[in-house]
Amino acid sequence: MRADWLLAGLAWASPLDAQQKVSRAIGIAPDASIRISNSAGITRITGWDHDSIAVIGSLPAGASFYFGGKGQVAKLGVERRDETVAGPGALLEIRVPRGAKVYVKSVSAAIEASGLSGELECVSVGGGIRVDASLKLLVAESMEGNLDVRGANDVSRLKGGSGTITLTGARGDVLATSIGGPILFTSGSVTRAHLETVSGAIGYEGEVGPRGTLEAVTHSGDVTLRLPTDISAEFDLESFDGNIDAGFLAKSAGPSKPGKGKPVSFVTREGGSNIVVRSFKGSIRIQKP
Amino acid sequence: MNCTELRSRLQAYASGTLRTEEEAAFEAHLGRCEACSTEVTLAEARLAQTGALPKAVAPVQDLWPGIQERIERPRIAGRIALPKWALAAAAVLLIAASSAVTAVWLRPSSRPASQGSTRLIGFEAEYTAASDELSTALATARSWLAPETIAIIERNLASIDQALAESHRALALDPGNVALEQLVVAAWRHKVDLLRRATAIGSAS
Repeated sequence: MRADWLLAGLAWASPLDAQQKVSRAIGIAPDASIRISNSAGITRITGWDHDSIAVIGSLPAGASFYFGGKGQVAKLGVERRDETVAGPGALLEIRVPRGAKVYVKSVSAAIEASGLSGELECVSVGGGIRVDASLKLLVAESMEGNLDVRGANDVSRLKGGSGTITLTGARGDVLATSIGGPILFTSGSVTRAHLETVSGAIGYEGEVGPRGTLEAVTHSGDVTLRLPTDISAEFDLESFDGNIDAGFLAKSAGPSKPGKGKPVSFVTREGGSNIVVRSFKGSIRIQKP
Repeated sequence: MNCTELRSRLQAYASGTLRTEEEAAFEAHLGRCEACSTEVTLAEARLAQTGALPKAVAPVQDLWPGIQERIERPRIAGRIALPKWALAAAAVLLIAASSAVTAVWLRPSSRPASQGSTRLIGFEAEYTAASDELSTALATARSWLAPETIAIIERNLASIDQALAESHRALALDPGNVALEQLVVAAWRHKVDLLRRATAIGSAS
């Protein structure tokens, strides 16, 4: 029994011994450009009301931390001394000025960002990206990871691959594209949204601003739009080999009978917004919220 | 011929490409203008120096052993160690391909419309060229990409190619269908974008 405890203690202690701790800070302009690189692990960025960058974290054995900058520019990240050794990732907790322009690069590391109001660009190969902020500009790309975006950004540009793209409470101008991953949009109101997948489903639940545009394009994914019952918009729906169900708007759809392979165009109330859906073989459904 | 006219023809005179009457006027001016005469002497000297330069400059040392050592250096999973020469080659190809893609995207309208199939053929030719260039760039970077990354890229490419094939088959049955053409263009856009991103990952790493 005692030996078991001893082994358990050693197993717990070994990774801790191998880790290095990081704790650094520098002063920087409130709207500085900050470049962050961490290939594996977790990079967590939080905006704060100080003109400085503060970092705490832990690095795996064989990795080193670099950090420098002044005035408008700063860069920090994790680099492995011996690139031939695979190992666990680094955990970085980073505080940056709220209005900074932040660029984050990762290979498999997850990226989490919150409390920012400037610009943020996150690029990852396989890591997930989670953003909870109200940014002027958000650009997020991950080939395989999920993209989870909460908050009202002025402009959002999201590119996924096979992961899920989730937008909650989005406003403004949204462009989201993926290949196999679905795009799910909830509780938002856009002035312009273009959602496009190859085989992923598209789900939109929210409003479309007056004179706003919502475009959903997919090859084989289904498209479901949950729209306010009093929506005032021009609809243009077409699926080459999929069904179209205008749901509660079927009456407005008029003489063109919704169905497989038939384009459906109609106007509700006074029109104003534009809703365009194109699919090759996915179904198109319009539903109440 | 005045001084300004002479100086605008200076290069042509120094390289012996002036017409006979121009050459005569040029030399007449030189005979009475010392400043221009000095300019011509200097220009001829510069031309002679340029002509004497070697056609190629050999590197001061044999770089190949160093390059080979970097190629053969093992890498960790997920992290790519791209040699500088490959980085440069990929960057050149990426710039060329990006220019082609930008040319496609910056057209007044990215949606094929009334010209139907003719316009789609043009689009597809440009997307094919961009796709081919990016595929070449990606092939250069491929051996430095982690197997998991390659698998992701290939899976996504297969999905796009399937969509393209299905759209083409449908378009063959219904030529000129604008909605189908838009889907073909969308699939191409996905393909070129995926290849661009994949190549960028290789180069950036």
